[in-house]
Amino acid sequence: MWVARVDEGWLFGDLSPRTAEILKGVPMLLESEDPRVRACLLPETLHDAGHEADWRAHAVPELERLFASRSTLVGRDLAAMRPMKGGGKMLLLITNQHASAWLAALNASRLALYCLNGLVAAHMEMDSEEPATPQQQQAIDSIHLMAEMQSVLLGDAPMESCGPMADLDV
Amino acid sequence: MVRVKTAVETETQTRSETQLARPWNVIVHDDPVTLMTYVTKVLMQVFGYAESKARTLMMEVHKTGRSIVWTGGREQAEIYAQKLQAHHLLTTLEIVDA
Repeated sequence: MWVARVDEGWLFGDLSPRTAEILKGVPMLLESEDPRVRACLLPETLHDAGHEADWRAHAVPELERLFASRSTLVGRDLAAMRPMKGGGKMLLLITNQHASAWLAALNASRLALYCLNGLVAAHMEMDSEEPATPQQQQAIDSIHLMAEMQSVLLGDAPMESCGPMADLDV
Repeated sequence: MVRVKTAVETETQTRSETQLARPWNVIVHDDPVTLMTYVTKVLMQVFGYAESKARTLMMEVHKTGRSIVWTGGREQAEIYAQKLQAHHLLTTLEIVDA
Protein backbone atom coordinates (compact mmCIF):
# COMPACT_ATOMS: atom_id res chain seq x y z
CA MET A 1 0.00 0.00 0.00
CA TRP A 2 1.21 3.47 -0.81
CA VAL A 3 -0.25 6.87 0.07
CA ALA A 4 -0.14 10.14 -1.84
CA ARG A 5 -1.48 13.51 -0.80
CA VAL A 6 -3.49 15.02 -3.64
CA ASP A 7 -5.52 18.22 -3.79
CA GLU A 8 -8.74 16.28 -3.28
CA GLY A 9 -7.57 14.30 -0.24
CA TRP A 10 -5.46 11.24 0.52
CA LEU A 11 -4.98 8.62 -2.15
CA PHE A 12 -4.31 5.07 -0.99
CA GLY A 13 -2.98 2.86 -3.78
CA ASP A 14 -1.91 -0.74 -4.35
CA LEU A 15 -4.61 -1.97 -1.98
CA SER A 16 -4.85 -5.74 -2.15
CA PRO A 17 -8.29 -7.34 -2.58
CA ARG A 18 -8.04 -8.45 1.07
CA THR A 19 -7.31 -4.86 2.24
CA ALA A 20 -10.19 -3.56 0.13
CA GLU A 21 -12.52 -6.09 1.78
CA ILE A 22 -11.33 -5.07 5.26
CA LEU A 23 -12.05 -1.41 4.49
CA LYS A 24 -15.48 -2.24 3.06
CA GLY A 25 -16.28 -3.68 6.49
CA VAL A 26 -15.75 -0.33 8.25
CA PRO A 27 -19.31 1.03 7.78
CA MET A 28 -20.79 -2.29 8.94
CA LEU A 29 -18.69 -2.32 12.11
CA LEU A 30 -19.69 1.25 12.83
CA GLU A 31 -23.37 0.34 12.76
CA SER A 32 -23.08 -3.16 14.17
CA GLU A 33 -25.88 -4.31 16.44
CA ASP A 34 -23.62 -6.87 18.12
CA PRO A 35 -23.88 -6.24 21.87
CA ARG A 36 -20.09 -6.50 22.26
CA VAL A 37 -19.58 -3.73 19.71
CA ARG A 38 -22.35 -1.60 21.18
CA ALA A 39 -20.85 -1.95 24.66
CA CYS A 40 -17.53 -0.87 23.20
CA LEU A 41 -18.77 2.10 21.16
CA LEU A 42 -21.55 3.19 23.52
CA PRO A 43 -20.03 2.42 26.93
CA GLU A 44 -21.64 2.81 30.32
CA THR A 45 -21.02 6.43 31.19
CA LEU A 46 -22.46 7.11 34.65
CA HIS A 47 -22.40 5.05 37.84
CA ASP A 48 -25.86 6.08 39.00
CA ALA A 49 -28.52 3.90 37.32
CA GLY A 50 -30.96 6.80 36.96
CA HIS A 51 -28.36 9.07 35.39
CA GLU A 52 -27.25 6.27 33.08
CA ALA A 53 -30.86 5.70 31.99
CA ASP A 54 -31.16 9.42 31.16
CA TRP A 55 -27.92 9.20 29.21
CA ARG A 56 -29.19 6.16 27.27
CA ALA A 57 -32.44 7.96 26.52
CA HIS A 58 -30.96 11.24 25.34
CA ALA A 59 -27.27 11.06 24.42
CA VAL A 60 -27.03 7.59 22.92
CA PRO A 61 -29.65 8.06 20.15
CA GLU A 62 -27.76 11.16 18.97
CA LEU A 63 -24.52 9.21 18.94
CA GLU A 64 -26.18 6.42 16.96
CA ARG A 65 -27.40 8.94 14.38
CA LEU A 66 -23.89 10.39 14.15
CA PHE A 67 -22.37 6.94 13.63
CA ALA A 68 -24.91 6.20 10.89
CA SER A 69 -24.18 9.49 9.16
CA ARG A 70 -20.43 8.84 9.41
CA SER A 71 -20.97 5.36 8.00
CA THR A 72 -22.71 6.90 4.98
CA LEU A 73 -19.84 9.34 4.32
CA VAL A 74 -17.20 6.61 4.57
CA GLY A 75 -19.36 4.37 2.39
CA ARG A 76 -19.38 7.00 -0.37
CA ASP A 77 -15.59 6.99 -0.60
CA LEU A 78 -15.57 3.20 -0.51
CA ALA A 79 -18.17 3.03 -3.27
CA ALA A 80 -15.82 5.11 -5.43
CA MET A 81 -12.87 2.77 -4.77
CA ARG A 82 -11.69 1.44 -8.15
CA PRO A 83 -9.08 -0.91 -9.63
CA MET A 84 -5.77 0.64 -10.57
CA LYS A 85 -4.63 0.70 -14.17
CA GLY A 86 -3.19 -2.58 -15.32
CA GLY A 87 -3.79 -4.75 -12.30
CA GLY A 88 -6.05 -6.12 -9.64
CA LYS A 89 -4.95 -3.69 -6.93
CA MET A 90 -7.39 -1.03 -5.78
CA LEU A 91 -7.27 2.74 -5.36
CA LEU A 92 -9.12 4.62 -2.62
CA LEU A 93 -9.48 8.36 -2.31
CA ILE A 94 -10.34 9.62 1.17
CA THR A 95 -11.59 13.09 0.41
CA ASN A 96 -10.60 16.10 2.49
CA GLN A 97 -14.25 16.59 3.44
CA HIS A 98 -14.53 13.05 4.79
CA ALA A 99 -11.16 12.81 6.57
CA SER A 100 -12.59 13.47 10.06
CA ALA A 101 -15.34 10.93 9.51
CA TRP A 102 -12.75 8.38 8.39
CA LEU A 103 -10.51 9.04 11.38
CA ALA A 104 -13.33 8.34 13.82
CA ALA A 105 -14.74 5.46 11.78
CA LEU A 106 -11.34 3.74 11.65
CA ASN A 107 -11.03 4.14 15.41
CA ALA A 108 -14.48 2.67 15.91
CA SER A 109 -13.66 -0.26 13.64
CA ARG A 110 -10.41 -0.97 15.45
CA LEU A 111 -12.22 -0.98 18.80
CA ALA A 112 -14.99 -3.16 17.38
CA LEU A 113 -12.54 -5.72 16.00
CA TYR A 114 -10.74 -5.77 19.33
CA CYS A 115 -13.98 -6.48 21.21
CA LEU A 116 -15.38 -8.95 18.69
CA ASN A 117 -12.27 -11.12 18.59
CA GLY A 118 -11.56 -11.47 22.28
CA LEU A 119 -8.23 -9.67 22.02
CA VAL A 120 -6.25 -8.47 25.02
CA ALA A 121 -3.90 -5.51 25.46
CA ALA A 122 -0.84 -7.71 24.90
CA HIS A 123 -2.07 -8.52 21.38
CA MET A 124 -1.78 -4.83 20.49
CA GLU A 125 1.90 -4.53 21.36
CA MET A 126 4.45 -4.44 18.59
CA ASP A 127 6.06 -7.87 18.14
CA SER A 128 3.53 -9.32 20.57
CA GLU A 129 4.15 -12.91 21.58
CA GLU A 130 0.63 -13.32 22.94
CA PRO A 131 -0.87 -16.47 21.35
CA ALA A 132 -3.53 -15.68 18.78
CA THR A 133 -5.86 -17.84 16.72
CA PRO A 134 -5.79 -17.34 12.92
CA GLN A 135 -9.00 -15.31 13.21
CA GLN A 136 -7.51 -13.17 15.96
CA GLN A 137 -4.36 -12.66 13.90
CA GLN A 138 -6.46 -11.44 10.97
CA ALA A 139 -8.20 -8.99 13.31
CA ILE A 140 -4.84 -7.80 14.68
CA ASP A 141 -3.54 -7.24 11.13
CA SER A 142 -6.69 -5.30 10.26
CA ILE A 143 -6.35 -3.18 13.40
CA HIS A 144 -2.73 -2.34 12.50
CA LEU A 145 -3.65 -1.56 8.89
CA MET A 146 -6.34 0.86 10.04
CA ALA A 147 -3.88 2.42 12.52
CA GLU A 148 -1.50 3.13 9.64
CA MET A 149 -4.29 4.86 7.76
CA GLN A 150 -5.26 6.86 10.85
CA SER A 151 -1.66 7.89 11.30
CA VAL A 152 -1.58 9.21 7.73
CA LEU A 153 -4.82 11.15 8.20
CA LEU A 154 -3.56 12.57 11.50
CA GLY A 155 -0.58 14.00 9.65
CA ASP A 156 1.95 12.14 11.79
CA ALA A 157 4.22 12.35 8.75
CA PRO A 158 3.26 15.56 6.89
CA MET A 159 2.95 15.12 3.13
CA GLU A 160 3.06 17.68 0.34
CA SER A 161 0.26 17.56 -2.21
CA CYS A 162 1.16 16.05 -5.59
CA GLY A 163 -1.51 18.23 -7.21
CA PRO A 164 -4.83 17.14 -8.64
CA MET A 165 -5.57 13.41 -8.68
CA ALA A 166 -6.17 13.54 -12.42
CA ASP A 167 -2.48 14.33 -12.94
CA LEU A 168 -1.46 10.94 -11.52
CA ASP A 169 -1.31 8.01 -13.91
CA VAL A 170 -3.08 5.51 -11.67
CA MET B 1 -55.45 22.10 43.45
CA VAL B 2 -52.37 22.52 45.54
CA ARG B 3 -50.31 19.39 45.83
CA VAL B 4 -48.18 19.01 48.90
CA LYS B 5 -44.81 17.41 48.32
CA THR B 6 -44.03 14.29 50.24
CA ALA B 7 -40.85 14.06 52.26
CA VAL B 8 -39.40 11.66 49.67
CA GLU B 9 -40.11 14.06 46.81
CA THR B 10 -38.53 16.92 48.71
CA GLU B 11 -35.47 14.88 49.52
CA THR B 12 -35.17 13.68 45.91
CA GLN B 13 -35.49 17.22 44.59
CA THR B 14 -32.93 18.53 47.07
CA ARG B 15 -30.48 15.76 46.20
CA SER B 16 -31.01 16.35 42.52
CA GLU B 17 -30.44 20.11 42.88
CA THR B 18 -27.36 19.47 44.97
CA GLN B 19 -25.99 17.16 42.27
CA LEU B 20 -26.70 19.78 39.62
CA ALA B 21 -24.88 22.40 41.64
CA ARG B 22 -21.85 20.23 42.33
CA PRO B 23 -19.17 20.05 39.66
CA TRP B 24 -18.78 16.99 37.48
CA ASN B 25 -15.61 15.42 36.17
CA VAL B 26 -15.25 14.31 32.57
CA ILE B 27 -12.89 11.35 32.63
CA VAL B 28 -11.12 9.73 29.70
CA HIS B 29 -9.96 6.15 30.25
CA ASP B 30 -7.16 4.27 28.56
CA ASP B 31 -7.86 1.62 25.98
CA PRO B 32 -5.31 -0.60 24.25
CA VAL B 33 -6.39 0.34 20.73
CA THR B 34 -6.75 4.09 20.30
CA LEU B 35 -3.66 5.90 19.00
CA MET B 36 -2.02 8.41 21.32
CA THR B 37 -1.86 11.07 18.61
CA TYR B 38 -5.58 10.57 17.97
CA VAL B 39 -6.42 11.14 21.66
CA THR B 40 -4.35 14.34 21.63
CA LYS B 41 -6.07 15.59 18.49
CA VAL B 42 -9.55 14.88 19.87
CA LEU B 43 -8.80 16.68 23.16
CA MET B 44 -7.57 19.70 21.20
CA GLN B 45 -10.62 19.64 18.97
CA VAL B 46 -13.27 19.12 21.65
CA PHE B 47 -11.91 21.43 24.37
CA GLY B 48 -9.75 23.79 22.33
CA TYR B 49 -6.75 22.85 24.45
CA ALA B 50 -3.25 23.73 23.33
CA GLU B 51 -1.32 20.77 21.98
CA SER B 52 0.98 20.71 25.04
CA LYS B 53 -1.95 20.48 27.47
CA ALA B 54 -3.76 17.90 25.36
CA ARG B 55 -0.58 15.82 25.16
CA THR B 56 -0.06 16.03 28.94
CA LEU B 57 -3.62 14.78 29.55
CA MET B 58 -3.18 12.03 26.97
CA MET B 59 0.02 10.87 28.68
CA GLU B 60 -1.80 10.79 32.01
CA VAL B 61 -4.44 8.55 30.43
CA HIS B 62 -1.74 6.35 28.98
CA LYS B 63 0.33 6.05 32.18
CA THR B 64 -2.32 5.98 34.90
CA GLY B 65 -5.28 4.58 33.00
CA ARG B 66 -7.44 7.69 33.28
CA SER B 67 -7.40 11.45 33.34
CA ILE B 68 -9.88 14.11 34.42
CA VAL B 69 -9.93 16.19 31.28
CA TRP B 70 -12.51 18.77 32.35
CA THR B 71 -14.50 19.72 35.47
CA GLY B 72 -17.59 21.90 35.61
CA GLY B 73 -21.38 22.02 35.44
CA ARG B 74 -23.28 18.83 34.66
CA GLU B 75 -24.90 20.02 31.46
CA GLN B 76 -21.62 21.08 29.87
CA ALA B 77 -19.91 17.95 31.20
CA GLU B 78 -22.51 15.80 29.42
CA ILE B 79 -22.00 17.73 26.19
CA TYR B 80 -18.26 17.15 26.38
CA ALA B 81 -18.67 13.47 27.23
CA GLN B 82 -20.94 13.02 24.24
CA LYS B 83 -18.43 14.72 21.96
CA LEU B 84 -15.61 12.53 23.25
CA GLN B 85 -17.68 9.38 22.80
CA ALA B 86 -18.55 10.58 19.31
CA HIS B 87 -14.82 10.21 18.61
CA HIS B 88 -14.80 6.86 20.45
CA LEU B 89 -12.73 7.89 23.43
CA LEU B 90 -13.74 5.82 26.47
CA THR B 91 -15.37 8.52 28.58
CA THR B 92 -17.28 8.55 31.86
CA LEU B 93 -18.81 11.23 34.08
CA GLU B 94 -18.69 11.45 37.86
CA ILE B 95 -19.76 13.96 40.47
CA VAL B 96 -16.84 15.59 42.23
CA ASP B 97 -16.65 14.33 45.82
CA ALA B 98 -17.70 16.97 48.34
